[in-house]
Amino acid sequence: MNLRYMMKELYYQKRRTLMSILGLSIGIALLIVLNSLSLAYRQAAHVPLKEIGADITVQRSGDVPKELAGPVFPCSAVTIRKEEVEKIQKLSGVRGMGTGLLLWVFDPNRAWIVLGIEKENSIGPSLLRSSVTEGRFLEDGKPEALVEQAYARQFGIRLNDTISVADKRFPVVGFVDASRAAKIAVANVYLPLKDAEDMAASSKELQSVSPYAPGDVNLLFIKADQEKITGLASEMKGILGNKATVATPDSFLKLLGSLFALSDKFTLAASLIAIIVAVLIAFKTMAGNIAERAREIGVLKAVGWTNRNVVSQLMSESVIQCFMAGILGLLIALMASFGLSFMKVNIPIPWEMSPTPHFLPGGGDQIFKTLQLPVHVPWSLAFFAILLSIIIGGMTGGLLGRHISKIKPSEVLRHD
Amino acid sequence: MTKSNILSGTDLSKKYGDLEVVKNVSLAIDAGEFVCLVGKSGCGKTTLLSLISGLEKPSKGRVSLDGREITTSSEDELALFRRDNVGFIFQSFNLIPTLSAWENVALPLFPIKMTSEERRRRATELLGKMELGHRIEHLPSALSGGEKQRVAIARALVNNPKIIFADEPTGNLDSSTGEAIMGILNKLHKEEGVAILMVTHEDELAKTANRLIRMKDGEIMS
Repeated sequence: MNLRYMMKELYYQKRRTLMSILGLSIGIALLIVLNSLSLAYRQAAHVPLKEIGADITVQRSGDVPKELAGPVFPCSAVTIRKEEVEKIQKLSGVRGMGTGLLLWVFDPNRAWIVLGIEKENSIGPSLLRSSVTEGRFLEDGKPEALVEQAYARQFGIRLNDTISVADKRFPVVGFVDASRAAKIAVANVYLPLKDAEDMAASSKELQSVSPYAPGDVNLLFIKADQEKITGLASEMKGILGNKATVATPDSFLKLLGSLFALSDKFTLAASLIAIIVAVLIAFKTMAGNIAERAREIGVLKAVGWTNRNVVSQLMSESVIQCFMAGILGLLIALMASFGLSFMKVNIPIPWEMSPTPHFLPGGGDQIFKTLQLPVHVPWSLAFFAILLSIIIGGMTGGLLGRHISKIKPSEVLRHD
Repeated sequence: MTKSNILSGTDLSKKYGDLEVVKNVSLAIDAGEFVCLVGKSGCGKTTLLSLISGLEKPSKGRVSLDGREITTSSEDELALFRRDNVGFIFQSFNLIPTLSAWENVALPLFPIKMTSEERRRRATELLGKMELGHRIEHLPSALSGGEKQRVAIARALVNNPKIIFADEPTGNLDSSTGEAIMGILNKLHKEEGVAILMVTHEDELAKTANRLIRMKDGEIMS
């Protein structure tokens, strides 16, 4: 392989070289962008759960009492028994668990959405500790309340006020802005889990449709091994029965509805089509170039170049062209990804995961988690694309080179 | 093949389908000899040259070049043999349009392991001998016909061949340039002692050779 000869050939056929590079680079760029977008949607689908420190949330749907009075469970989150929780905790792949108890409390003059939370847990609603905007977080062993900031503003609740929920009084020790964090299991008032358990256990209405004992919960937040999430989801459904609602990043991905989000197969097929079209363009341009150089190849062979010399020369030209196409494709993809990263995506949060009574203001509204699509080109993908372009170059140059090197010099050098 | 023969072909025939282009031809060329192969167009001169230079394999017969039987060699063996022993000059020069004059001259050396400086030195030296020392960086498109053929001659000489095969080397040149090229070939033959087998259809040019071989309808007449 002679570098000088190679560069001069590529430069001499500037237009053809550029066409070839451009054709393949567009294919490479499409491959990178499609896969980056797919990856970005996947990452976006993790966000709602990640913000609550979990990979999986588990609920069970059931009935609401006929008469809505006092504390009741929302229909999307009824009792998960302590034994069931323990079984789930023991499943292989479960790395940690948080719990919560979500209640609708219908007092005579006000309805509350109450969430009983653990005070110390890196999984689940205890993460609200970082969303306290005023006052402080709940302290151990004290019957205190945190109030959602917007709710407090709407109803004129101030710090250190005392609120009465289900006939029990709680001093307001802080405000939280949960809207900036997870949109899952959002409530108006956050109480210690113990107090919420007491409320649920003492509610006749609640017990009439969904027997409950302290230690039971109705929300589970699970941290799991990434590769086991799908399997765990079906195991959990097996434990909790067909009324279980198990939310995973995949279920959010389906809610996103984008083609990229819907199917890996679509991304794979689209990437393959992009690459095949690009390879065909590159192959056709290079084949045209090499066919035009039949006489030149004849000269090379006549002056003592072996078939191998010819193939390696043509292969090096092809590899360098495709390598440049790979680099250009990567640059195009980086620019496109930068542009796409300004795109906003709305991830719908199912009503069941943050239930609000329909008769309350905003109760029927669809909740969305809005975020910028985290589009970026991973190094591994960039490396793969460059490697792929080199392989394409090697194969194209090799195939065409082998074909043309079989030419007999005497056939092409007969004087005109 | 005698000891002084650089090239010999025995009972060479070449068939393309039913058409026999070269018929039972035998010829030998001595080291340092200048032989002209003459005949009308289509009489099989170029085919015979291709056979005895190893560019093409005969349908029948044997070729020995510098004491080595090349008829049974593989394509790559033949290429390597040509690289080390043979030079070619073509009617249409066959220079690579993308390479400068010196790079064209150095073309047979590209696959050989040597420094670029050494290749350039050897090519430049030969171009100097062809009085093209001032044109080494020029592309073929910037050279006249005579200059292109002189570059081609330099290319044929760059590997210090034992024999040069020239196929109508003046065919694309005007008469005065053609004469100049013949002058160079004669000088090479006389001063460097390189054997030359030249194919031409011009009797006038053939007169300068040591020996004349006439071909007609694929056979040697004299």
